[in-house]
Amino acid sequence: GRREAAEACVGQVVLPGDVLLLPAHPDEDGERLRLGAGAAPRGRLLCGPGLRRCGVGLLVTKCGLLRHRRAGGAAAGGAYWVDSQQKRYVPVKGDHVIGIVTAKAGDVFKLDVGGSEQASLSYLAFEGATKRNRPNVQVGDLVYGQFLVANKDMEPEMVCIDSSGRSSGMGIIGQDGFLFKVSLGLIRKLLAPKCEIIQELSQLYPFELVLGMNGRIWVKAKTVQQTLIIVNILEACEYMTAEQRKQALSL
Amino acid sequence: YMGDEEEEGRGAYVCEEKKDGTIHGSTYYLTQRSFMPCEDLLYGRMSFKGFNPEIEKLMIQMNSRCKEEIEVDDKMEADVSDEEMARRYETLVGTIGKKFLRKRDQRVLQDEDEDGNSNTRPSKKAKKKFLKPQD
Repeated sequence: GRREAAEACVGQVVLPGDVLLLPAHPDEDGERLRLGAGAAPRGRLLCGPGLRRCGVGLLVTKCGLLRHRRAGGAAAGGAYWVDSQQKRYVPVKGDHVIGIVTAKAGDVFKLDVGGSEQASLSYLAFEGATKRNRPNVQVGDLVYGQFLVANKDMEPEMVCIDSSGRSSGMGIIGQDGFLFKVSLGLIRKLLAPKCEIIQELSQLYPFELVLGMNGRIWVKAKTVQQTLIIVNILEACEYMTAEQRKQALSL
Repeated sequence: YMGDEEEEGRGAYVCEEKKDGTIHGSTYYLTQRSFMPCEDLLYGRMSFKGFNPEIEKLMIQMNSRCKEEIEVDDKMEADVSDEEMARRYETLVGTIGKKFLRKRDQRVLQDEDEDGNSNTRPSKKAKKKFLKPQD
């Protein structure tokens, strides 16, 4: 693969095997900081999905566009990641996903999240659940939760409460509504702050939307027809330009 | 709930993942497999035009927490007006101060009150005697 400076490749297509060189950075020990010229950015550089640390810089492991974010805010020190497209979801810790309950095995529910393995969800991982007060979860229900454990060595585990014990919107998704699947890139586009598609849809009529990072979207509106219109727009908007979308919405 | 189980099995894995999702915790690089911190994604549950009011409240709460763009509500009304606050504090200081007086001073204070008010303290109620159960 080729070796180039990371800043030069931002916004370009990178392929697995490319090495991205970063400007001189302090030694990892922290004790032997090189002072003076070539001041490294404060904070730690975030090496995001599709990238891996190697000796001199970052090694690309997925093909896609290289993205960069400057230091400040959540990613102190800046962040690099590869914006790749895929349909198959790989469980990642902390991601919020929509799972379908497939089995109840004693104290644990098995959920299908679209990954290679089914995730497990304990009945105690709901807000206000105790041994006597079990949540009312049936096979076939939809659950919105986040991953507690998700690595390649273990079965993924999900919970429906956050670290302070509150549900904050997670849990069983109610009756009715429509669940469908889209690619992972579209989910990220829809969840981006100030997404135009969502803003345009929100002007149409009242509806409720749940987006799971595993590519699943659940929509509920007042009538079946309205629900289906939103579903069709969301499925098609990945490949539509802005004008085509506005045209479709005005109909 | 969140982090304790990870501490136990730490030695066994080559690729250790830490509590905040970072791998290979070094001092300079943070390796993350999730897109959330990179792209600042919003919360996944949304509701529009009042379809689900609880979710709409949650949306404001979660998104403002992520982005730290909390809108300061300048029109916050005070529950208690300033004047009343000042009045209350004036008397409060006296009340709390009395608590820390020594016993002698407390008695002096009581006498002063009595002379001032000229109210006869109501006589204490007769102590209730034990009533035998009647057969």
